[in-house]
Amino acid sequence: MAAAVCFDNVSKRFILHHERPRSFQEWAIQTIQRRANLREPFWALRDVSFSVEPGEMLGIIGENGAGKSTVLKLISRILEPTTGRVTVQGRVSALIELGAGFHPDLTGRENIYLNGSILGLSKREMDRQFAAIVDFAELERFIDTPVKHYSSGMYARLGFAVAIHVHPDVLLIDEVLAVGDEAFQKKCLERIATIKAQGKTIILVTHDLDAVDALCDHVLWLDDGAVQAQGATSITSRYRRHMAGVAAAHRPQPAGPEAVAEAAGVGSIESTSPGRWGSYGAEIVSVEFLDAQGRVVSTLRTGEPLVVRIHYQAHSRIERPVFGLAIYRQDNVHVNGPNTRLAGYDIAAIAGQGCVDYVVDALPLLPGSYQLSAAIYDHTCLHAYDHHHRRYPFVVEEGAVAAGYGLVHIPARWEHRAAGGKTQEA
Amino acid sequence: MPSRLAELFQYRELIKNLVARDLKVRYRHSVLGFLWCLGNPLLMTLVFTVVFTVLLRSNIPKFPVFLLCALLPWNFFSTAVMGAINSVVGNEALINKVYFPREILPIAVVLSNLVNFLLASIVLFGMLLVFRTPLTLALLFLPLVIIVQVAFTLGVSLFLASVNVFFRDTAIIMEALLLAWFFLTPVFYPIEVLPQHYALGGLDLDVRRLMYIVNPMASLAASYRDVLYSGVLPGLDFFARTAVTAFAVLALGYLFFTRTSRLFQEAM
Repeated sequence: MAAAVCFDNVSKRFILHHERPRSFQEWAIQTIQRRANLREPFWALRDVSFSVEPGEMLGIIGENGAGKSTVLKLISRILEPTTGRVTVQGRVSALIELGAGFHPDLTGRENIYLNGSILGLSKREMDRQFAAIVDFAELERFIDTPVKHYSSGMYARLGFAVAIHVHPDVLLIDEVLAVGDEAFQKKCLERIATIKAQGKTIILVTHDLDAVDALCDHVLWLDDGAVQAQGATSITSRYRRHMAGVAAAHRPQPAGPEAVAEAAGVGSIESTSPGRWGSYGAEIVSVEFLDAQGRVVSTLRTGEPLVVRIHYQAHSRIERPVFGLAIYRQDNVHVNGPNTRLAGYDIAAIAGQGCVDYVVDALPLLPGSYQLSAAIYDHTCLHAYDHHHRRYPFVVEEGAVAAGYGLVHIPARWEHRAAGGKTQEA
Repeated sequence: MPSRLAELFQYRELIKNLVARDLKVRYRHSVLGFLWCLGNPLLMTLVFTVVFTVLLRSNIPKFPVFLLCALLPWNFFSTAVMGAINSVVGNEALINKVYFPREILPIAVVLSNLVNFLLASIVLFGMLLVFRTPLTLALLFLPLVIIVQVAFTLGVSLFLASVNVFFRDTAIIMEALLLAWFFLTPVFYPIEVLPQHYALGGLDLDVRRLMYIVNPMASLAASYRDVLYSGVLPGLDFFARTAVTAFAVLALGYLFFTRTSRLFQEAM
């Protein structure tokens, strides 16, 4: 069977016109002043080749500006490649909010038909989908009201409902569906799952690596317009490590014992930087992640031991300090926020250098990207000596325990009991 | 190119819906919208009639009929062109999001203005009755004249809609040019007032003939007038030349539009 989507050595060049005239007037002025029209070629994609088989779901990942959206625009024919060939089998639809095509004076009903024909559907196809679209958008009562009276949420829902009901052979999804409330987003995700179950080809562009892990069969990693890697979803782990490395390079204090000594010798740390605050009476010099053997690591594994070590430097004697940390998942979920006071672990006083360990026997976090905050507070927990907010990224990969779906591994067991029968444990 | 035309045919539903959208929006408040479409040519007829028959004492018989025969087609042409110029730029958000043949946008504008033109013709036929102008078999020729005008209007619209994407002041420039074009077209004066001999730097110019050659709208106005006002057929070779010019303009405009439309997204 032919590939649903095939890129054959595709390159896309944009010409950046720094002084391109936007009107005849500007053009005339430039001609008189003999200013040169500075043109700078910019390659958004270079020799990109990949193919997606029918029924597959491909995730495209990469940093901002890597060319992900350009790929989608080439598939949907909004752009044409500079060189190479893009072939697509069947109808393509992008999951986008189509409110742009609405006319405010027309009713919801009229706009549904108008939008459907923009997406290339016949009136007969739209007649068949109409009820489902109205139902999905939850707009039964307002369908004959001009859309200028709609709230922005209703507007977006209606546009989205049309786009999701066109029965495409290839469905393109760009970024998280930031449409409507949570319930509507959930409905959209369910609908995507249904479309996937129907054996349609789906291409997802997102920064949400957890979604890629959960949904996609294959991954394409773009970096600066070129294919960095493609294949199985294990690529997302490599990408997480890469991103953790990029973030580490931007840390103010490199982790490691040498750095601690060095920083201690100098005795001062830059006082202000993003995500850091406090009076700096005591400072966090570095934070390390240690595995069971006491080695410094940046990749952790589910179910394995972990020590988070906070190196500090107190510039004067500080009575009863509180050490704390917090873990966030990439998508801003706050996982936990333990501190020494909550744990009833009293530190009488600190002065000079030292370190505090947060010892985890078996890490319950499931694979994903996380960030750690570390902080030193006074005993009231109101006054910060030094707070480093989400400045320590780390990656969790699959470990000894079988990873499931979600955020944490909760040690538990299953029991089954048939009525009047014996208990079976697992 | 044939595949591009076939694709256009597949999207006929969209053309239909866009035309319907334009008309619905215009006539939503039905009675008033429709009356306005008739009132505008009536008012203009009144003004021109007062100026030319009362103030300037021109002695054209049945002046309102004479005027409307050319004024309505001219209004169709100028509103369609001005609407089409902004049709691509005005739908920037859509062009950034969805693929569809871009030429649909100006085509829909021209077609919805065609419908308005046909509705406004009620005024003209009313005038024909009022002034007891006999309707002859030449009227059967009218659809052909309209088709040729649609071809010419489409060609100009496609060309300018594309140019406006790259040079945004095209609309402003065209507004001024269309006013000049209006005065240079025999709408409110008969072409017979133009001299057939005009000496310019030793050249003997036939301005009347020249007008027909460089201004297809003049030829079209003359054809409308032949069929409706005079009740005769236009000279057939004259009309054939007009038709060939109109379809050549359409072909060139269409080619220009389809060649440049792939650059629209990047230019916006």
